[in-house]
Amino acid sequence: MLRISGGRVYDPANDINGEVRDVCISNGRIVPEVKGEGIRTIDATGMVVFPGGVDVHTHVAGGALTFARAMTPENHRTAAKFIHSPELRAGIGGTTPTTFATGYLYAGLGYTTVNEAAVPVLSARHTHEELRDTPIVDKSTCVLMANNELLLDLLEQDETERAKDVLAWLIWAAKGYGVKAVNPGGVTAWKFGKDAKILTEPVEGYSKVTPAKIIGDMAAMVDELGLPHPMHLHCNNLGAPGNFNTTLETMKVLEGHRTHMAHLQFHAYGGDDWHNLRSESTRIAEYFNSQPNLTCDAGAVLFGDAVTITADGPWQHLLYQLTGRKWGNLDVENETGCGIVPYTYKGSNLVNAVQWAVGLELLLLIDDPWKISLTTDHPNGACFWRYPEIIHMLMNADFRREQLNKLPEKALSRVVLADLDREYTLSEIAVLTSAGPARALGMPRKGHLGPGADADVAIYHDDPDAEKMFGHPRYVIKAGQVIVEEGDIRKMVDGREFIMRPSYDPGVEEYLRPLFEQYYTMSFDNYPVEPERVEGADIRECG
Amino acid sequence: MGGKVTCTLGEVKNRADFLIFWGGNPADCHPLHFSRYSLLPKGRYVPKGRKGRTMVLVDVRETPSVRFSDIFLQVRPGKDFEVITTLRALVKNQPVNRALVEETGLSLEQLQDLVDRMKNCRFGVIFFGMGLSMTRGKHMNSAGVLALAAELNAYTKFVSMPMRGHGNVTGADVVMRYSTGFPFGVNLSRGYPRFNPGEFSTVDLLVRGDNDATLVLGADPGATMPQPAIDHLTRTPTIVLDPKVTHTSLLSRVHFTTATTGISAPGTAYRMDEIPIPLKPILESPYPTDEEVMRLIYEKILGKPAWNPSAYEEVPCA
Repeated sequence: MLRISGGRVYDPANDINGEVRDVCISNGRIVPEVKGEGIRTIDATGMVVFPGGVDVHTHVAGGALTFARAMTPENHRTAAKFIHSPELRAGIGGTTPTTFATGYLYAGLGYTTVNEAAVPVLSARHTHEELRDTPIVDKSTCVLMANNELLLDLLEQDETERAKDVLAWLIWAAKGYGVKAVNPGGVTAWKFGKDAKILTEPVEGYSKVTPAKIIGDMAAMVDELGLPHPMHLHCNNLGAPGNFNTTLETMKVLEGHRTHMAHLQFHAYGGDDWHNLRSESTRIAEYFNSQPNLTCDAGAVLFGDAVTITADGPWQHLLYQLTGRKWGNLDVENETGCGIVPYTYKGSNLVNAVQWAVGLELLLLIDDPWKISLTTDHPNGACFWRYPEIIHMLMNADFRREQLNKLPEKALSRVVLADLDREYTLSEIAVLTSAGPARALGMPRKGHLGPGADADVAIYHDDPDAEKMFGHPRYVIKAGQVIVEEGDIRKMVDGREFIMRPSYDPGVEEYLRPLFEQYYTMSFDNYPVEPERVEGADIRECG
Repeated sequence: MGGKVTCTLGEVKNRADFLIFWGGNPADCHPLHFSRYSLLPKGRYVPKGRKGRTMVLVDVRETPSVRFSDIFLQVRPGKDFEVITTLRALVKNQPVNRALVEETGLSLEQLQDLVDRMKNCRFGVIFFGMGLSMTRGKHMNSAGVLALAAELNAYTKFVSMPMRGHGNVTGADVVMRYSTGFPFGVNLSRGYPRFNPGEFSTVDLLVRGDNDATLVLGADPGATMPQPAIDHLTRTPTIVLDPKVTHTSLLSRVHFTTATTGISAPGTAYRMDEIPIPLKPILESPYPTDEEVMRLIYEKILGKPAWNPSAYEEVPCA
């Protein structure tokens, strides 16, 4: 049992905004009061108490990430080292941290829940192995669906009912939590060396299926199945000049359905070529603000080294051609693909400067903090362990302007950041980093400090330098266990994995089996991940 | 240059109409590769199976795989890198020196024909084996093939894949990557992972005699490594976990006979395309599994005092 006393508590989900009050913990949950002996008290006087952070969109485990790890030994050389001890395992931080280091780095920021946003069913077994070796944080996964040819074939034949069963079956087969759609139709087109850039044009290899149809139908299926997290969408035309039009059209297609729009920064560009790329964050934010069915995450960019990893194969081929750097590509049979290109964002580069500004602009222009979460699409825009740098810029407009004025003058005319005076409050930061993403993910026990919530708590020194404050929590508590004390990781615990089991017609297996034997190279019975192989599985049913 | 443009084996089955096997003999060494994944199966976009595919074999000698191929290109031993470099130049329409090309044992016309076929196929794949990656040029040959496949994507869809074997070597590689950041040649002696192939790779450590004990799991270095490495394994304590008697187990101080994974022990094996396959045992074994033995060794080690106690001392709380 634990009592955190005297801290200023920010718990926006329960309308608590900086009140000095105690937070009590028993059996890994928040409780109204603890009594009796054996209660440890943490004196948080003068400190700020937050619910543990929740990352709604990150890439921390799986075949693609491990591909990237192997591709970038030069980044590991200069990265932070984690020396093993009786409590902690060895590892490496940097752009693509190793599994153990990932858990330590997240916990070291006060984050206690992460959503791995891109898992192919075919290699889901491997992703779960990595997640088991990612300690401390609780985890969930989004399963890649929008280029699954078995599903697209059904949409082509307008068999949406059966498609819904297949989709539900696939989530359970992968032991996933939600549905991810990446460049709908574009990744499957990439297997012919093509892309899907226009929402209303048929996808390569199909005559009726268009990206718009995939987006609309899939969002509807996710809603009908009652999954707690809406469709998690990476729009078509990521990163391309002028792509804000595609993004606006996508939001129109989605009217009436819940959707989470991932890394919106990469989808809010104007202009028609690289030399005239400009920010269109105002128009994107304006429309987004009027849509109650949508949430998003920022996908902000920070200058420095990054590794771009995405299921968006055609985009990565373009990025390889633009940069001439290493290129990894992995097409996954019948399901998805992935591409990897190491990338360095430079303040002196006009395109990168615009990208940097767009991320911050969206965070400032989207007026309801419950609708946008803090992400960098780790490791695409920047590494997750740099979140405190962004928080500092959001909370301090003067500091933000100082940074903005370092950019080339040409860039300043293409962005609107100079005109934005908004400063985030601590309560809004708590929404942005914890309460909001927990609600977007549909996790009722995360992101708040009310009775019954998981006892995931971050305690920070109150410091005017928000980067310092949020970069070094004084205490981090995960499921009631004190993990970080005095800024050091002192204890290792295992996290859980959230898994959804949506209901489906069991007859769907008989439909899938012959198709599977025809198109796949693995036996059908070996395809689903065995539930007992997922350590710490927390399974919920729906639909 | 760098990276890898690849796919899972099902993509080859469903789409590849042009296959190059380079420096390998799958007919003998990967006996199910042709029939299950690459050459023979009917795929979604290759409905005619074998008839819908063209196969090129590049090797230094005639092997049983030749009779499966449509085109056999016999390279002079040690000239693979020159051939790859010429192909990369031809793909980009760069001038090449005919006399130098012919030193490879292949004519410019043969290579130009190959380039035309590569550019004009729908989905091409290069599978490369140890005849390429372990002969003169070594990793430079692999890097060249990987770059060739990547560059061909400016014209058509093209991928490459190493023909890996030797049990679950891919699985070991994957686990090392996610837990240490590096695939092999990892040194943990400073308490964190460092990587330097040529310095920390097994054969180099053994030849130099850097290590004072060796644990061998699922491998038989005594059969394949150079004599100085084998001498060092004999000289120092070597512990082997293996279901069978091997060259290495015979020179080891301790040999644990373990259950055979996939037959009498469960586990996971990774295919060469890094897709994990669950292994389901069909027999019982009187022997413990590799995992059980490793856990027991690990528990014993945990009970020992740390070699460097100061590193483990509790930091006093304020």
